[in-house]
Amino acid sequence: MKNNTLKVLSWAVLACAAPYSVPLFAAGNPAMAGTGDTTITEEQFLKAAKESFPWATPAEFDERVKNDVTLAICNKTNGQPNAAETDVILKFEQSRMEYPKDGKRYGDWKKGQEWAEGAHGGRIGFADADDPAHPNGANCYACHAIDLNFPAAGNMGPSLTNYGKLRGQSEPMIKYTYEKVFNAKALVPCSLMPRYGGKGHLLTAEQVADITAFLLDPASPVNLPPKAAAQ
Amino acid sequence: MKKKLAWLFIASPMVFGSQILPTYAESPTDEDKKFEAYREAMADFNPGDFWIEDGEKLFHEQRGPKNVSLEQCDLGLGPGVVKGAYAQLPRYFKDTNRVETLEGRLLGCMVNLQGFDEEKITKPYYQSLAEEDGTKSDLVELVAYVASQSNGEPYRVKLENAAEKQAYELGKYAFYHRMGAMDLACASCHATPGLVLRGVHLPVMTDPATAGKVMTAFPAYVIKDANVRTWFWRNERCLLAMRLPFLKVNSDLDVALHLFQVMEASKTDTPIAVPGIKPRA
Ligand code: HEC
Ligand code: HEC
Repeated sequence: MKNNTLKVLSWAVLACAAPYSVPLFAAGNPAMAGTGDTTITEEQFLKAAKESFPWATPAEFDERVKNDVTLAICNKTNGQPNAAETDVILKFEQSRMEYPKDGKRYGDWKKGQEWAEGAHGGRIGFADADDPAHPNGANCYACHAIDLNFPAAGNMGPSLTNYGKLRGQSEPMIKYTYEKVFNAKALVPCSLMPRYGGKGHLLTAEQVADITAFLLDPASPVNLPPKAAAQ
Repeated sequence: MKKKLAWLFIASPMVFGSQILPTYAESPTDEDKKFEAYREAMADFNPGDFWIEDGEKLFHEQRGPKNVSLEQCDLGLGPGVVKGAYAQLPRYFKDTNRVETLEGRLLGCMVNLQGFDEEKITKPYYQSLAEEDGTKSDLVELVAYVASQSNGEPYRVKLENAAEKQAYELGKYAFYHRMGAMDLACASCHATPGLVLRGVHLPVMTDPATAGKVMTAFPAYVIKDANVRTWFWRNERCLLAMRLPFLKVNSDLDVALHLFQVMEASKTDTPIAVPGIKPRA
């Protein structure tokens, strides 16, 4: 519990560096309330999910639906895990944290820009499956405003515009940003933000390092005035 | 492709112009307004009407190895009754001992009454659901035709027996269940008001008024695909984005997700009006 509080606190401290207020990005999904009254059991659901999709292999089903310790807790608790459950998730997800082989958590921001914008990757099935030979994108703009020159943004996560300008490029900030993007649930147990790194997820450790640089680098458009405004 | 080009040409000033360069400063609400104007301009001519015409012919034609029409197909109101059938589906059917959607039921009739090979229908069917694929499919034409025969009526789907209640609960459970490579549930995107995803407003499908509006427009003519798309397709697109494999037509989750959302629409008096028109989704 103490451990757990510390982690959440350190996250809060880092997050407070942001001058904007974050509206409803609580760890859980606020709209999940009221699902406790269903008469369906997890076993019944898993059986239906197993039969409703043409899984290529049993392992694929296990990876995408069945054996996810973290989501199992988040689903069961409507995104509000208690202290013990929080501990289970944070420990498990932190044990899955990986870093690039060269140890550098700060990569090439130009590549990071490409990964952040791209929406390719991970789709499986008969129609519109993604070619696994192409590097995956992360589609960060689905949920965040980042570089304001990019023509679209989402509001499911906080704005990341001027992220590096506001927070600086200190070692702890690099570490925090890398780990947040690699595995948001290693810091916020039932974060709405997808886990991007590790088996079954979209990005390599090197790509996460590139995105870290994209968010933090002073030369990245994330931290410069938008082009139209600069002219 | 050729068909689509024609549509691009007509649609470009209003819809595609704004899609190629959607400035984020321009709120999606402005986009919605532009699209509304476009929809009005198309009120007198909806290309989806061709699907309905062809579907009507297909329904009455003698087809398949058994060379019979679908006039013996019971969609819940008696053999061959299409008027109002869509407005009361999905529902439980004794003969199959399953809750079924219109699409699933028609597929079953093509297989059981007309003798078609199920895989020969579904395989090309699934493939034709790729983005920007204008391939017409018999099953979609049939769904569009039968659905149009409920135009003007609100959904009145009821949970009248244990199987229907169970399917509804499964739909609700699935709707809130986070899964797939993105850790998302339908509810992550469709149960909170005010969410915008990559510049697109997300409809709150747990709000009856919104569900009523959305559900009564499907099957819809999707401009980007130059094709008519059904409910199954809509849920399947979102499951694909969640990085789950392709949903099977008439599978338990197909039926359950459809039923869960249509129950919200059933709380309203919004009349079914198909084919709807959608820019991309
Ligand atoms: C499905 C929506 C979603 C997607 C996609 C998403 N995020 Fe997030 N993100 C969130 C939410 C919600 C939060 C706030 C909750 C939290 O901190 O976990 C968040 C928080 C963050 C934070 C912490 C912000 C802070 O104030 O410290 C960073 C950094 C971040 N996201 C970066 C990214 C990057 C980079 C990508 C793409 C690789 C991405 N996100 C993709 C939803 C998303
Ligand atoms: C990552 C967010 C996300 C998730 C998760 C998601 N959707 Fe969607 N959904 C969207 C987007 C984006 C659209 C397209 C809206 C548009 O283009 O107008 C959409 C469209 C829809 C529509 C049609 C709305 C309309 O106006 O015609 C329905 C219905 C729907 N989704 C149901 C579901 C269901 C069921 C699930 C779960 C299986 C789901 N969605 C999961 C983002 C999501």
